[in-house]
Amino acid sequence: MTEEKKEPKQEEPEPAEGKKLGRRDFLQGLSTLPVLGLFGAAVVQQARFDRKQKTKAAGTVKPRAGSVSDLNVALLGAGAQGEVLLNAMLKIPGLRFRAVCDIWTEYNRKKTVNLLRKYKHEPNAYENHEDMLAREKDLDAVVIATPDFWHSRHAVDCMKAGLHVYCEKEMSNTLEGARRMVMASRETKRLLQIGHQRRSNPRYIHCRERILGEAGMIGRIATVGGQWNRSAQPDLGWPARYAMPAERLKRYGFRSMAQFRNWRWYKGLGGGPIVDLGSHQIDIYNWFLGGRPVAVTANGGIDYYPASTHEWYDTVMAVYEYETPAGRTRAFYQTQTTNSSQGYFENFMGDAGTLLISESANRGAVYREPSAPAWDEWVRRGIVTAPVLSEDPAADAAAAVLDVRETVSPEKYGLPVEFTDPYHKPHLENFFDAVRGNAVLNCPAEVGYECAVTVLKVNASVEAARRLTFDPKEFEV
Amino acid sequence: MVPFPRIPQPVRQANASGDRLTLVALTVMRVAIGWHFLYEGLAKLLKGNWSAAGFLLQSKWALAPVFKWMANTPDVLAVVNAMNIWGLMAIGLGLMLGAFTRLAACAGMLLILLYYVCNPPLPGLYYSIPMEGNYLIVNKNIVELAALGVIAVTSTGRFAGIDRLLAAWFRKRSLKS
Ligand SMILES: NC(=O)c1ccc[n+]([C@@H]2O[C@H](COP(=O)([O-])OP(=O)(O)OC[C@H]3O[C@@H](n4cnc5c(N)ncnc54)[C@H](O)[C@@H]3O)[C@@H](O)[C@H]2O)c1
Repeated sequence: MTEEKKEPKQEEPEPAEGKKLGRRDFLQGLSTLPVLGLFGAAVVQQARFDRKQKTKAAGTVKPRAGSVSDLNVALLGAGAQGEVLLNAMLKIPGLRFRAVCDIWTEYNRKKTVNLLRKYKHEPNAYENHEDMLAREKDLDAVVIATPDFWHSRHAVDCMKAGLHVYCEKEMSNTLEGARRMVMASRETKRLLQIGHQRRSNPRYIHCRERILGEAGMIGRIATVGGQWNRSAQPDLGWPARYAMPAERLKRYGFRSMAQFRNWRWYKGLGGGPIVDLGSHQIDIYNWFLGGRPVAVTANGGIDYYPASTHEWYDTVMAVYEYETPAGRTRAFYQTQTTNSSQGYFENFMGDAGTLLISESANRGAVYREPSAPAWDEWVRRGIVTAPVLSEDPAADAAAAVLDVRETVSPEKYGLPVEFTDPYHKPHLENFFDAVRGNAVLNCPAEVGYECAVTVLKVNASVEAARRLTFDPKEFEV
Repeated sequence: MVPFPRIPQPVRQANASGDRLTLVALTVMRVAIGWHFLYEGLAKLLKGNWSAAGFLLQSKWALAPVFKWMANTPDVLAVVNAMNIWGLMAIGLGLMLGAFTRLAACAGMLLILLYYVCNPPLPGLYYSIPMEGNYLIVNKNIVELAALGVIAVTSTGRFAGIDRLLAAWFRKRSLKS
C-alpha cells in the first residue's frame, strides 16, 4: 500500500493516455499467466490419474507370449458353438487347424472346412472321431463342442490319444461321465480345460481378485441373485436337403433330425436350460463365494413348451445354500425361456455394497450401500471407477417422492476393465498358453467337475420336489 | 420529483479509473470462466473421439430441427465438433490471460447461447442426459452467459491482462501514423 502511495499514477486501472509502458504494466498485464501454469499442472495430474486407472485395469490381462511355434489343432463338433470358438481361435496366433470332425458332414462340417480354407488352413474332414484319432498323428490339441452327452467319450478318447483337450461345458450330462474325464486327465497327464469361459474373462477376474479379494469392498455377502432369461424361441430347424440319413443319426445316438438339432431339451442328451445356461453362472457363484454349496432347493417344470419335444424344464428357480468362510450365503438363480426381462447377470449382495456383473456387453457395476464407509480409496487404487450419475431418470423421479422409510438409492461405481474381444478368446488363449507350458488352466477338470456336481443337482431337486444336500465328498474325484 | 437515478459509481468507474477491488473481483471471475472454457475444450480434445452429436440429438424446443440436422450431417458435424473444441479453448485462453477480452467474452456468450437454446430447461421439456442440478428456465449456462456479459462491458483485460500491453501498443502505433 505504501508503495502505491509513492507512485500514485501506477494505481491506474489501465495505462494512461500517452504514457510509456512501465514495469508495473507488464507485471499487471501478465498477472493471470501463473493461473495457466496451475491449469497445466492440474491437467497433467488428472491425465496421470486417468492413465493409472487404465493401466491398473489392464494389469489383470496377461501379456501375450512372443513368437511361438504352431500348435496342431482339431475341432470336434462344428455346430453353433464350434463356429463361435473357431472365430475366436482364428484371432489367436500360432494355431494350425489340421482336422475338423463332425457327423453332419453335409452341412456344419462342410461350412467349417470352407471357412478354414478361406483362412489358408487345410484341415482333413472326418465324420467319426475315432477315425480322426487313428489317422491324425501329429495333433497337439482338440477343441470339443459336441452335444453334452458326447463330451465324456470324446474327451477321454482324445486324451488317451495324447491330445490336450478344451471341452465345452457342460462337462458331461452325467457325473459318471464327468468323473471319467477327470480320471483320464490325471492318468494321461493331459490338460483338460472346461469351457466356462468367464473364468478367463478379465472383467470377472478383476471382480474376483480385486473387488472381492483385495478390497472386499462389498462386505459380507449374505445373498446372491442371478438369472438368464431369454425370449421364447421356436425349435431349431434344418434345410431339408441337408438332412442326415436316419441310420447315421441312430449310430450317433439321435432319434431324428429334430432331436439332433434340439438335443439340449432331451433327457440323456443335454441338461435343459438350467444346465445349458445356468452352469456358467452357478460356476461364478462357486468361484466368487470361494466355496461349494451345502444344499439346493429347486422348483421348475415344463410350463410353456410341448412336453413331447421338451423333456427338460423350460422354467427353473433354485436356491443354493453356501457355508462360506464368512458365514452362510443364500444364492438364488433362475432361468426361464419365455421372456427376456433383464437378460442375464449375476448379482452379489454384501452388507456394504452390491456387485453386479454379466458377460454381456460390458454390463457391470458396484453399488455402495449408503451406510457403508466411503470408497474413495478403491477409486484411487483403480479397483472401481468414480461413481456415475444415475442413468435412469425414472429412478430420480422416484427418489424425489421418497418417503423417510425408504433408503436412498446407492451410488453406482463402474468397473475399470473394458473387454472387447470375443467372449471365449481369453479362455482359449489360457488353454493354448497352458499347452505351451506358459500358463495354468483357469478351469481344469476338477473345477469343471465341481460345477457339474453343483448344477446337475438342480434337476434332481426339481424332480424330487424337495431340498437336497451335498456331501462334501461328492465334489471330489 | 425524484431525480433520475444515476449509474452507481463502481460500475461506471470500472471502465475508467475504477475501484481497484471491483476490478480484482471481476478479474477473478474472468479467469475462472476462462479456466472452465479452456478445460471444457481440452477435455474434449483429449478424449479423442468426443462428438457433439449426442448433445445435439437431444435438442428440444424451437431450433431442435436445426441441431438435429447438424448432428446428422457428417460434414457439418465435423465442423461443429472442431469449432467447439478449438473455440472453447481459444475463448478460455483469451479470458484467462485477458487477451482480446471483449471478443472472447462475446464469442463465449454466443457459444453458451447456442448450448442453451439447444437444450433449454423450459417448463415441460424433459431430457434423458442427466444434469447435475435442478433448473427452471435459468440454468448455469444462463448464469455464465450473464457473467460473460459483465466481462464484455468492463475492460478487466486492460486492468490485469495482456490487453493492457496490447492497448498501449496499438495506441503507440496509431500515434505514430
Ligand atoms: N460356452 C458357451 O458359451 C457355450 C455356448 C453354446 C454352447 N455351448 C456348448 O457347446 C456344445 C455344442 O453346442 P452347440 O450349440 O454348438 O450345438 P449344435 O447342435 O449347434 O452343434 C453340435 C455339433 O456337434 C456335432 N456332433 C454331434 N454328435 C457328434 C459326434 N458324435 N461326433 C462329432 N460331431 C458330433 C453336430 O453335428 C453339430 O454340428 C454344447 O456342449 C454346449 O453346451 C457352450
